[in-house]
Amino acid sequence: MNVLMPQLGETVSEGTIAVWHIKVGDTVAKDDPLLDVETDKAAIEVPAPKAGVISAINVAEGETVDVGVVLVVIDVEGEESAAADSETASPAAAPAQAAAPVAAPTPAATPMSSPTSAAATGSVAKSGAMLSPAVRKLVSQHNLDVSSIAGTGKKGRVTRQDVLAIIDGSTAAPAAAPAQAAVTGRSTPVPVPAPIGADARSLIPFDRIRKLTADHMVMSKATSPHVLQAVEVDYTAVDAVRKSYGPGWKADKGYSLTYLPFIAKAIVLGLREFPKINSSIVEEALQLHPLINLGIAVDLNFEGLVVPVVRDCASKSVGQIAEGIKALSIKARSKSLSPDDFAGGTYTISNSGPFGTLMTAPVINQPQVAIMSTDGIRKRPVVIESESGDSIAIRPVGILAQSFDHRAFDGAYSAAFMNRVRNILEQQDWASEL
Amino acid sequence: MTKSKDKTSSAGKYPLNETKQLELYQLMAECRALQQRAHDLFMQNLVKGTTHLGLGQEAIAAGFGAAMRKDDYTFNTYRGHNHNYVRGVSMTAILGELMGRDIGQLRGKGGSMHITDTTKGAMGSYAIIGAHMPIAAGAAWSAQYRGTEQAAVCFFGDGTTNIGAFHEALNFAAIWKLPVVYVCENNQYMEYTAIGDVTAVPNPAADRAASYGLTSILVDGNDAELMYETAMAALDTARSGGGPTLIEAVTYRHYGHSRADPGKYRPDEEVAEWKNNRDPLPLYRNKLLEAGMPESKLAAIDANTEEMIDKATEEAKSSGPPPDEIAFTDVWADGGAAWRN
Amino acid sequence: MAQLSYRDAVAAAIAQEMRRDKNVLFLGEDVAAAGGVFKATVGLLDEFGPLRVRDTPISEQAILGAAMGAAMTGLKPIAEIMFSDFFAVCWDIVVNEIAKARYMSNGQHECPLVIRSANGGGARFGAQHSQSIENWAMAVPGIKVVAPSNAADVKGLLAASIQDPDPVLFFEQKSMYGLKCDVPEGDYIIPLGQANIAREGSDVTIVALAAMVPKALKAAEVLQEKHGLSCEVIDPRCLVPLDTKSILESVSKTGRLVTVEENPRLCGWGAEIASIVGEECFWNLDAPITRITTPHIPLASVDVLEDLMIPSVDRIVSVVSEMD
Repeated sequence: MNVLMPQLGETVSEGTIAVWHIKVGDTVAKDDPLLDVETDKAAIEVPAPKAGVISAINVAEGETVDVGVVLVVIDVEGEESAAADSETASPAAAPAQAAAPVAAPTPAATPMSSPTSAAATGSVAKSGAMLSPAVRKLVSQHNLDVSSIAGTGKKGRVTRQDVLAIIDGSTAAPAAAPAQAAVTGRSTPVPVPAPIGADARSLIPFDRIRKLTADHMVMSKATSPHVLQAVEVDYTAVDAVRKSYGPGWKADKGYSLTYLPFIAKAIVLGLREFPKINSSIVEEALQLHPLINLGIAVDLNFEGLVVPVVRDCASKSVGQIAEGIKALSIKARSKSLSPDDFAGGTYTISNSGPFGTLMTAPVINQPQVAIMSTDGIRKRPVVIESESGDSIAIRPVGILAQSFDHRAFDGAYSAAFMNRVRNILEQQDWASEL
Repeated sequence: MTKSKDKTSSAGKYPLNETKQLELYQLMAECRALQQRAHDLFMQNLVKGTTHLGLGQEAIAAGFGAAMRKDDYTFNTYRGHNHNYVRGVSMTAILGELMGRDIGQLRGKGGSMHITDTTKGAMGSYAIIGAHMPIAAGAAWSAQYRGTEQAAVCFFGDGTTNIGAFHEALNFAAIWKLPVVYVCENNQYMEYTAIGDVTAVPNPAADRAASYGLTSILVDGNDAELMYETAMAALDTARSGGGPTLIEAVTYRHYGHSRADPGKYRPDEEVAEWKNNRDPLPLYRNKLLEAGMPESKLAAIDANTEEMIDKATEEAKSSGPPPDEIAFTDVWADGGAAWRN
Repeated sequence: MAQLSYRDAVAAAIAQEMRRDKNVLFLGEDVAAAGGVFKATVGLLDEFGPLRVRDTPISEQAILGAAMGAAMTGLKPIAEIMFSDFFAVCWDIVVNEIAKARYMSNGQHECPLVIRSANGGGARFGAQHSQSIENWAMAVPGIKVVAPSNAADVKGLLAASIQDPDPVLFFEQKSMYGLKCDVPEGDYIIPLGQANIAREGSDVTIVALAAMVPKALKAAEVLQEKHGLSCEVIDPRCLVPLDTKSILESVSKTGRLVTVEENPRLCGWGAEIASIVGEECFWNLDAPITRITTPHIPLASVDVLEDLMIPSVDRIVSVVSEMD
């Protein structure tokens, strides 16, 4: 089989061979590293997609070739040559705000997709199709992956109108994404009974994102022993600040101040005191991360999930975090998230709140060790204790639930963290945190 | 050459007093100096491109120069330094233009072949043979329409008499009775070819006059006073509504067609005859002296001429080339060259 | 407003300017007594007399030369060259003299003249009496080039041309002399160098000139109705000075350019516009630039062949509807 030059970024069209790890004649197992590829944006290791013997190496170290060029040919037993590699795909950048309780693929050293491969699933114009100057300009300006835009012109040509429709958001395209590391885990096929009373239209093939996500979820659950812990939070203090500063914020910035940036800040403050939760497991060690880069899970119109990252939240105020989240959502909406926007996440927040759910047990976003779900906030009757006795008040209440990897730390540590986060949310002087 | 029917009608009708005679002599002397200096500068590689000298033909330009009024119009060919000089364009401006200097009459944009000074009625030197003949008719038409007494004078060579515009212009001027004087300077060679070899009639202009209902006029182009009288008569005809005149003035050029041309197609004896025995400047000088003009007056003119030409040469030389920006000026009336927004 | 034919608008504009300025004169072959072979100058002799409106011999060089001489000496002449094909007979005066006099004289010469001429085909006059030569004129620096597409534009643009201090070649389209439309009464001037957006649209920019404008407009209607295509039709009116801005703005909006030109293919005026757009608007092009022109052959006389060669409404519709 042919191993092609992967696309290392949306607008990257070539890559340089940094170093070969194998030579002709070597036998490789699946996932053995074949070579390192570099662009000015990223460097990755390209692993063997299948086991076999190296039968040809086409490009020398130091050479730069276009995306899609055959780099190395592996003789796979029982397989004919020149099948395009379709095992990996990249997740999409997307529009929507509402999050679904899923994690995104990890930015690990795994094979990249090659959009020029014939196995590109779903819609879209192949690269090499006629791209007019207008289309090229718009695609470049907005950092789009044109190979994922459906063309309505003659012979399926992507027209300027098609691109403008994406940019305006009037078309929800299942666009391909910045080159994300794709999946190594895979689901084992399970025999499925024939659908009852169904016709051909009831079968929905997995697109690239779905496949990636599915593989990642399985891998994550297989890797981390997940434990769920929840606290109930009284959001009165947050609400007060939202009410008084909200209108001014909206008038000033053009968008609303939601609960999410407050929750994010509380989590950040908590993580400062409980650093093991902001870490990754490496071999048999816990690698603490010096920065707190919060991944915010973003749903793509129920068609997939991405987790762009707000970096260095410890140095940001609630307002700055809000701005960061907003900027990412704008980029997501205009399909202009870049690989950098996905890189370096250390903790993830999954926000089901807008849908009013009670509680969610999210799947950890590898290689992180914990993920927080924020669920619906509703007015509930709560008991208020005071020196003069108990009373019932109506307060905005919601559940925060963290799934954590029990390899990294134990329940008491996590519980203490959750308690701290709850207290921060309920007691912080939020007005001064904006 | 054959006699014309009307050669002597102007003789004696326009007597020249001493002032006029000296003016005539001075114009010729200065033209001679100007053209000789142009020749010399060309030999020194200071004159750019090519240039066409009227050495030997001064009497025609001078005769008309002395006869014309300030508000008359002249149109001449690329061999037109003299014709512009006699209308008042300075030596400096002419030499400057030949040398491609900013002080040149056209700042280098026109060159030797296109000397123009509309403030002096010198309405251009024309390099496309014959094109200026209908243009001169147009200027005459303008004067006629506006009811002024202006006349247009159009100088051209013997070669012009065979081009279409010559015939169109003469017919046009004749039918509208335009106040234009057409002057054919027959120097007997059309560029490198003897005019007789390529013309159906012996006198290229004079023999065509009848075709346009005009009088045939054939004169000695090297006789300064005759040229003056002929000019005066034609201008009077024009001003009084008598219509156009066609004059053929026979002359000879001392040098080749252009500076690039050594003129080897002409028999040596012929050249010698014209240069030595029929040169209009010494001819007129001698005629004046014989008629009693004091030598000192002529000498003074000569000396002054030398001074003038030297001064003009230095002035022109001291000017640099024109600035680059002027290349984009004066395509349009607004001074610019823009064809789009 | 009055309904005026293209030919009557010519006479109206000339009369308007001759009334305004007594230095405006008019000369040409059969223009005075006969009112012009296309009857475009009827009534002028009667109103302005034989000193200002003059019949000439068949002497194109003399006509233009005289016009130039008069323009250089204080007058504002209008000269007619009966068929634009005949410009070839006197092109020397246009190109070598009129176009260059001001420049070569370092700004001394003035040349406020207008040369009007009947241009174009469609009248079955054969190859030597049917040419569209506006592109010849566009190619010479120093002359302005005007080609109106309707009677109202004739009046406004001819008046502006007569008032213009520079030499103007004014191309009337002989196939349109009879066409009427509303023409503003009284003094009416359309400044040179302003294109007319004859029809607004969003899918493709069609730049058409003179007789091609009504065809482009008709085609645009069909394209909208039958193909759902929204065409923007631009009539530049003048090739020099050229309203490049309007064209670039339009193509930036639509992403597509089509030119419709009656002149023969090579070096037609549309080639220059295509070049400008290709250079200055490249990144907004969503389809290749397309030119619709008369092919590069002399025009046959017989109607069926002439109609086949000169761009037609059908051809415009067909080409535009099949564009990328």
